[in-house]
Amino acid sequence: MTGPVNPIRNQFIEELKQSGFTDKQIVVADESRACYGYDATRQSADPMLVLLPENGLQVETALQLAAKRKLKIFPRGAASGMSGGSIPSSDGIILSLTRMKQILEIDQENMIATVEPGVITGELQEEVGRLGLFYPPDPASLAFSTIGGNVAENAGGPRAVKYGVTADYVMGLEAVLVNGETIRSGNKCVKSVSGYDLTSLLVGSEGTLAVITKILLKLLPAPETVKTSLLAFPSMTAAAHAINAMFKNQIEPSTIEFLDHHSINAVRDGLPFSLPEEADTVLLVEIDGTATGVLSQSQKLKELFKDDALLLIEAQNESEREQLWIARRRLSPAIANLAPHKINEDIAVPRSAIPEVIARLENLSEKIALPIVCFGHAGDGNIHVNVMLDKDDPDQARRGHQAIDEIFAVTLELGGTLSGEHGIGNTKSAYLDKEWNPATIATMRAIKRAFDPDNRLNPGKIFQQLERYL
Amino acid sequence: MTTSPWQQELKKCVKCGACMAVCPIYRQTGREEMVARGKLNLIERLNDKNELPPGWIEAVDLCLLCCSCEENCPKGVKITEIIADARYRQTEQLGLNPIKKSAFSLLKNRFLSLPRFLKAGSFLQWLLWRRLPRHSGLVRRLPLPGLDDKTVIPALPQKHLDDYLKKRQTPTSNLKPVIYFPGCATRYLYPQMGLDLLYVLELLGFQGVVPKELNCCGMVTWGAGDQKSNQELKQRNLEVFRKHSDIKEIVTGCASCGHALKEYEDLPQECEILDISEFLFRHREKLEELVGTDKLEKKITYHDPCHLRKGQGITSQPRWLLKLIAGENFIEMRHPERCCGAAGTFGLSHKEISREILAEKAHDTDATGAEIVTSGCPGCLLQLTEGAVVADSKWQAEHPISLLADLLRKGVR
Repeated sequence: MTGPVNPIRNQFIEELKQSGFTDKQIVVADESRACYGYDATRQSADPMLVLLPENGLQVETALQLAAKRKLKIFPRGAASGMSGGSIPSSDGIILSLTRMKQILEIDQENMIATVEPGVITGELQEEVGRLGLFYPPDPASLAFSTIGGNVAENAGGPRAVKYGVTADYVMGLEAVLVNGETIRSGNKCVKSVSGYDLTSLLVGSEGTLAVITKILLKLLPAPETVKTSLLAFPSMTAAAHAINAMFKNQIEPSTIEFLDHHSINAVRDGLPFSLPEEADTVLLVEIDGTATGVLSQSQKLKELFKDDALLLIEAQNESEREQLWIARRRLSPAIANLAPHKINEDIAVPRSAIPEVIARLENLSEKIALPIVCFGHAGDGNIHVNVMLDKDDPDQARRGHQAIDEIFAVTLELGGTLSGEHGIGNTKSAYLDKEWNPATIATMRAIKRAFDPDNRLNPGKIFQQLERYL
Repeated sequence: MTTSPWQQELKKCVKCGACMAVCPIYRQTGREEMVARGKLNLIERLNDKNELPPGWIEAVDLCLLCCSCEENCPKGVKITEIIADARYRQTEQLGLNPIKKSAFSLLKNRFLSLPRFLKAGSFLQWLLWRRLPRHSGLVRRLPLPGLDDKTVIPALPQKHLDDYLKKRQTPTSNLKPVIYFPGCATRYLYPQMGLDLLYVLELLGFQGVVPKELNCCGMVTWGAGDQKSNQELKQRNLEVFRKHSDIKEIVTGCASCGHALKEYEDLPQECEILDISEFLFRHREKLEELVGTDKLEKKITYHDPCHLRKGQGITSQPRWLLKLIAGENFIEMRHPERCCGAAGTFGLSHKEISREILAEKAHDTDATGAEIVTSGCPGCLLQLTEGAVVADSKWQAEHPISLLADLLRKGVR
């Protein structure tokens, strides 16, 4: 079964085969196309064709041939994205980079890894880890998401508070333009200021400017050890003060995750430790580094909060560490039980604004009569806001929609941003002009047009579809 | 296909992609329609469709039911149940594969045809198969359709476990009875494994009662979508358990049987299904005393059977047992949790993928330098033997209970 006869597609396939694409790399079967059009946002569209290139040259070929027929191209990694970044249109071609999964080089002297985009982030971490090296960005999806996708979305993770995000590790890129030509940016030099920094431009561009085919990544020496602690506080404000106190006292955690009181209630039963009734906010703190450094910092942590924290547990070994993380890991399925659906946003605010955001969202929750559960990365101000609702109830759906508008309004008012790590994709494009003024958006669009004059590369992402493409 | 009774469960999948990290089939093929979220997507879209395109069926068929995705699913979606049900609804519409159909009717007629069939085979097998030089198991003598010269099949013994049990004397002292559920593989292919298990139970003060009327656990029929046979086998076993409801503990040495039995909905009250490793761990003080300081002087490693680790959540008890048997000579392999690719009949129906999965397992086993790879599942053991043949390695595949029995026999002597 290959669906209705599609002459353009058939001619395109013929040309691909003549250029060296094998049958296995050209996917037309209904059941396969049906599985290359979704991501983690519950959106789905069957592309007209899926291509599985194996190297940069094949990406060039595919884009050259697609350019002749003005076909739309949608790059795709593991499709674990949370903003619809890889959702195709039914007349589009999915370019799945999952077969380009070679770690090309781990240069130990310069501490740089050169990888293809389909490498799984967690597998890269494991490989460099065996050499005593460390690739810090740790999105929750690292066990299955690809480096290419992480770079395209500029993924973050819990460790961002100390180690930053994906962009902080990309030293250079090779990418194929929509006309099939390859561009290169960056190199292995720590200092490198020749010409425009196209690396920074492409990182986080959500597949709208070029198809990334090779990535140079900075590595660090692996930390000797890590210490995990769980602290409970009577209020979000008290927790925020605690975070400030840590930094003021030269404690530099690699991770500070927080759970608000809704989150705590969702997971409280069945935790391997007991939480005091009056616990309103829980912080999960990790300190990593040299053994002596970690020891002195964690002692300082204990001393600092021995009076203020309602609870302070320090993991003594790997299994205890796992136990402390259980609360955080169980959160997502646990809150799913609160309502049939959730609207999940990943706003970010300056760290100091967290208590204010949480308080305002609490009021909002009362106003719209829907639970709003917040958790996330307190260290870097990135908050996962979950509005729990039943979308099949039209009134709840309306109130949910209203909530999103207000969440973004509050976030932007407090100096925050629409998305900390998920990207804009097609789910938040309608809000882009709330964050940026017309001149800024026009500049972004001009860049897009310079790279992709016909709007054929991942169209419909970041910017709202306009009737006329500028 | 009719609408799935698992409709609500299907909706729980948010397509996050966590299944991609652990699916052995996806690891080999890299294709979305082969991983759980892809299959669930197809099953959802096939609901109420009259036409079943062959490609969609093949995608649903390409599953080991190894439960890796289920163990790793943040939403706890009951993926294997959904897939087994989809297979059921497919077979309702298209009929069961004729080979499986005749195999299952043999399974259901245990008293007459199956033992006879297998015994006839035990005489005739030498025409087509020859014994492996260094391993248990057979490989083909002549070219046979669908089987290459490295495919290992078990040697069919002339005597089944039931034959040994007829003549076997149980020590007359006060042994506490437990039911021993051997499972078909142990019963007809590896009777020595069953005798080893009974021997260890007796040393611990338990008599393993093996009711003759026990049937196949049903796992293989469930996986093939033959719900009718599955229900029939299940009911027959439940009847046996009810008849012996004064015995509360049911022990098995087969990971798949244990997994299947634990899923039975109406077990008699207080009746408990236990993998042999769980049972032994409960009696660890006595067992540790029995073993004393004796240790196996060979390097051994361990492969987690999917139906033990992911099906029943059992990981620490077998490792405790292996440390007891071999001490420092027990070495973990890399990725012990990864499926070996056997998965019942999957290894025969999808040889190529199964081999690719097995090759990685053989590589990880080789890297330990172990002489013996252990696993608490007869299906895995057969596949691991084939792995040694494919990788041209010398290691043997053994059930931990057999190593334990050998060690204890030495001590007792």
